[in-house]
Amino acid sequence: MAALHAWRAARVTPLGELNAPPRMTAVALRLTVQVVLVWSLWRGLYAHTGTTAGLSRDQAVTYAVLAVLASRLRELDQYAGRDTVLQHMHFGTIVYWYLRPLPPQRYYALRAAGEQLYGLAWALTGYVVCLAAGVVEPPRSAAVAGVFALSMLLGQWVLYYVMLVLDQLCFWTIRNTAAMLILLFAQNLLSGVYAPLWFFPDWFVTMSAFLPFQATLSVPLSLYVGRIPLSDAAFQLSVQAGWVVLLALFTRLLWRRAARRVISQGG
Amino acid sequence: MSLKALRIVWRVTALNFRAQMEYRTEFLLMIAIGAIWQVSVIVFATVLLSRFAGMGGWDSSDVLLIPATRMLAHGLFVLFLGRMHWAGRQIQEGRVDIYLMRPMPVHRQIQLAFFPTNAIGDLTVAAGLMVGALSRSDLDWTAGRISYLVAAVVGGMLLEAALFTLVASAGLRFPAADYWGRWLEELLGTFGSYPLNVLPRAVGGFLTYGLPLAFVAYFPAAVLTGHGHTTGVPYWLAASAPLLGLLAYLGARLVWRWSLRHYTGING
Repeated sequence: MAALHAWRAARVTPLGELNAPPRMTAVALRLTVQVVLVWSLWRGLYAHTGTTAGLSRDQAVTYAVLAVLASRLRELDQYAGRDTVLQHMHFGTIVYWYLRPLPPQRYYALRAAGEQLYGLAWALTGYVVCLAAGVVEPPRSAAVAGVFALSMLLGQWVLYYVMLVLDQLCFWTIRNTAAMLILLFAQNLLSGVYAPLWFFPDWFVTMSAFLPFQATLSVPLSLYVGRIPLSDAAFQLSVQAGWVVLLALFTRLLWRRAARRVISQGG
Repeated sequence: MSLKALRIVWRVTALNFRAQMEYRTEFLLMIAIGAIWQVSVIVFATVLLSRFAGMGGWDSSDVLLIPATRMLAHGLFVLFLGRMHWAGRQIQEGRVDIYLMRPMPVHRQIQLAFFPTNAIGDLTVAAGLMVGALSRSDLDWTAGRISYLVAAVVGGMLLEAALFTLVASAGLRFPAADYWGRWLEELLGTFGSYPLNVLPRAVGGFLTYGLPLAFVAYFPAAVLTGHGHTTGVPYWLAASAPLLGLLAYLGARLVWRWSLRHYTGING
C-alpha cells in the first residue's frame, strides 16, 4: 500500500507533463535546438585552437552537450502546477502538506524522485540519439561508464538536496525570489552548466572545490570525458558521498525547524 | 499618451517603487540579481575570449562591444518594457481578466504590475561594461558612430521587447507558451554576446532569420567595428538593425492587440 501511495505522489508532475502535449513538444524542440547550438558553438570555438584547459575539441563538445541533456533532469515547470514551496508559502497552502497522512519531507522527496526519473527518460533518449549521431563521444571504457553512472547518481542526489535547501529557505523569508534566483544562478555557474569549470581561472576552480555545486554536474561529466582520470575517481566519488551525507543531515534539521514555523488556521 | 495618463503612470511607478522598498533585503538582493545576471554574461564572454583569442576574426576589444551593447539594451528593456517577460504568469493567474475591466490599456497595466528593481543592477553593470568597452576601443568615436551606437542600443531594446511581446501574445491563447520566454532569455544571454560567424552558416542563419538575435547587438557592433561585410548578410541589412528593432516592436504590438481582441479568458 505504501508503495502505491509513493507511486501516486511520484507520478504527479510527469503525469501533468504527459497531459500537456504542447509542452512536451516544446521540450523536445528546445532540447534539439539547444544541443545543435551548443555543439556548433564549441566546434566553432575550437576551429583554430587545439587542446585548451586540458580539454580537446571532442571532450569539450561532449561535456557541453551532456550538460544540456543533464539540465533536463530537473527542469520541470512546477510553477505552472502551483506546487512550488515558494507558491505554497505565498498563498498559505503549505499548511496542507502538514495535514496529510504523508509527512511533507517524504512527499517532497517522492515528487522530486518522480521528476528526476521523468527527466532521466528525456536525458537518456537525448543521449542515445546524440551517441548514434556522433554528437557525443562514447565513454572510453566500461569502467569509465560505470564510474560516470555512479557519479551522476550521487550528483543528482546532491542536486536534490541543494534544490531542497533553496525551497526550505522559503519557510524563513517572506519575499525571497531574488535569493532563490541568486542561488539558482550560483548552482548553474558553479556546477559548470554555462561552461566547463576547467576554462575558468585557477582561483575559481579552487573555490568551486569547496562548494557542493560542482559535485552535481562538473565531476560526473569530467569523469565521462576523461578530464578527471579514473585514478582520481575514488576521491571524487567520496567527496560527492560526503556532500550527500552532510546535506542530508542539514536538510533534516531544516525540515524539523521549518515545521515549527507553519501555523494552521491562525495558530 | 495624454498628460493625465503620464501622471498616473508616474504615480503607479512611484507606488510600486515604495512597495519594493518595503522588504529592504529583498530590494537589495533584487539589485544584486540584476548585476549578477549581467556579470554571468561577462564571465561567460571573458572565459571564451581569454581561451579562444581572435574569436571569429575579431579583436577582443571589438568583441567586447557586442556584450556591452546587448547588456545595455537588455537593461533598458528590463526597466521600461521588461514586465512583458512576466506576462505569461499574469495570464496564467487570470489577472488579464481583471485588467480588461479597468479603464487603462492592458499592456500598460502589465508594465505597471511591479517596479523592476533588478534593472538597477542590470543597468549599473551594463553601463560599466560599455564604458570599459569604449575605453578599450581603438575606433574613432565620431558623432555619427556615437549616434549609431545609441540607436543600436534602443533598437536592441525594442527587438528584445518585440520577441517577448510575441511570446506573451501567444500566451494569451496558449498559457503554456510562457515556457518559451524562459528559453528566449537563456538564448539571448548565451548566444547574443559574441560574433555569430563562429557558428556554422545554417546555425548563424537561424539566429538571423529564424530567431533574430543577431540584430540585437552582433550586427550593429559589426557595422561599428568594420566587420559589417563579413556577417554573412547584406551590409544594408546588418546596418539597418536599429530600424528593424523599431519595426519589429511595432509589429509585435499589433500582434498583441490582435491577440488581446481574441482573448477568451480562462472560462471561455
